Amino acid sequence: MDYVGSRFPDYGPPGRDLTSAKVVVAGGFGVGKSTFIRSIVEGDLLTCAALPPERAGAVTKLVRIEFGRLWLDPGLALHLFVAPQWQTPQAGWNDVVRGAVGAVVLLDIMRPADSVDAIRYFEDHKIPYVIALNNLHAHPRGDVAGVLHAMGIDPIVPIVNCDPRYRHLVRQTLIALAEHAKLDRWRREPGPGDTTPLAPVC
Amino acid sequence: MTPAPDGHRRRRHAEAPAEQTFADLMNGFSLDSGRRKVRRVAPPPRTNPREESPSVAHEDWPTIADEPLAPAAPIPPAASIVRAYAYTGGRTRSNVNLEIETLVSANDQAHQSAGMLQAEHQQIIELCRAPRSVAEVAALMRIPLGVAKVLLGDLAERGLVDVHLTATSAGGDMPDLGLMERVLSGLRRL
Repeated sequence: MDYVGSRFPDYGPPGRDLTSAKVVVAGGFGVGKSTFIRSIVEGDLLTCAALPPERAGAVTKLVRIEFGRLWLDPGLALHLFVAPQWQTPQAGWNDVVRGAVGAVVLLDIMRPADSVDAIRYFEDHKIPYVIALNNLHAHPRGDVAGVLHAMGIDPIVPIVNCDPRYRHLVRQTLIALAEHAKLDRWRREPGPGDTTPLAPVC
Repeated sequence: MTPAPDGHRRRRHAEAPAEQTFADLMNGFSLDSGRRKVRRVAPPPRTNPREESPSVAHEDWPTIADEPLAPAAPIPPAASIVRAYAYTGGRTRSNVNLEIETLVSANDQAHQSAGMLQAEHQQIIELCRAPRSVAEVAALMRIPLGVAKVLLGDLAERGLVDVHLTATSAGGDMPDLGLMERVLSGLRRL
């Protein structure tokens, strides 16, 4: 097996073929990003620290990135990362977002503005995302569709209801994201060898 | 001759640059290729007008070890930036391309030669008996992500840990359809 990205391709094959994928969870403060991840991963969330990438001036603070991991099959680990809250929100997302399957944007319909930055970032970088409406602070605000329309969200973006405290809802959200990401990827570059992903595969 | 007050005064002089900003220090670490080099190369050319005294050997210490203490105080104790980058000799980049979710696992060779490695490498090898991601290693070792990448890169270059494939290994910025399919079916099975 060839290890791309390394100068020494002859490490020898590993015992098992392992690979990993990641999903980014973004949204405003207190909308339930950590809860979302905590309800599906194995064990507790871990926190790693990173230097902010743009080192303007004194570096006095490390940025904390929360994440969790679960094994989807014996050789595939899925990581879920909380998109960190930098002072300028998207300043350091590239490391976290590069190579992600997609992103979940948690949106509190009472505070839609909090998640706008994230949505704009993912649209600019062509990262497939789903919008998960967090009904924690449910309020009979009728025109959810109107709010979303006013935010200019592309109609192909899936909108799901997701209370991040419940595992089955989180799982459904992630499935919706994976399906959307697959379609999105296929739409963008339908490779010659690729079959159409439209047929459901179970 | 009274070397003691002299040495004392000199040490105080050495502490004067400690007033520099923390950014200067960090730049010193990242642009230069390491504190080892600084230590070995810098002191000899420095022309010291005063005669040698027993405290000469300690003259460098405040600039390297003591300086970060004051600004680092508000940082959580687990992750003093400079102390962590000292593990890497000041290097901030690795030759091996590691993403934060890349899985690494220690191989047999690592377990055999674990005794000869430096302490941090040994800890990593211990952690990586089961496959772990770069982010996990950083979190469990309580070191910044960049330091974990450099240390794991060292181990990978020596062939002691296996670096597994990830979405961007093939070159693109996005996972391929096969991986997405695997994620999807894995999620459905949960």
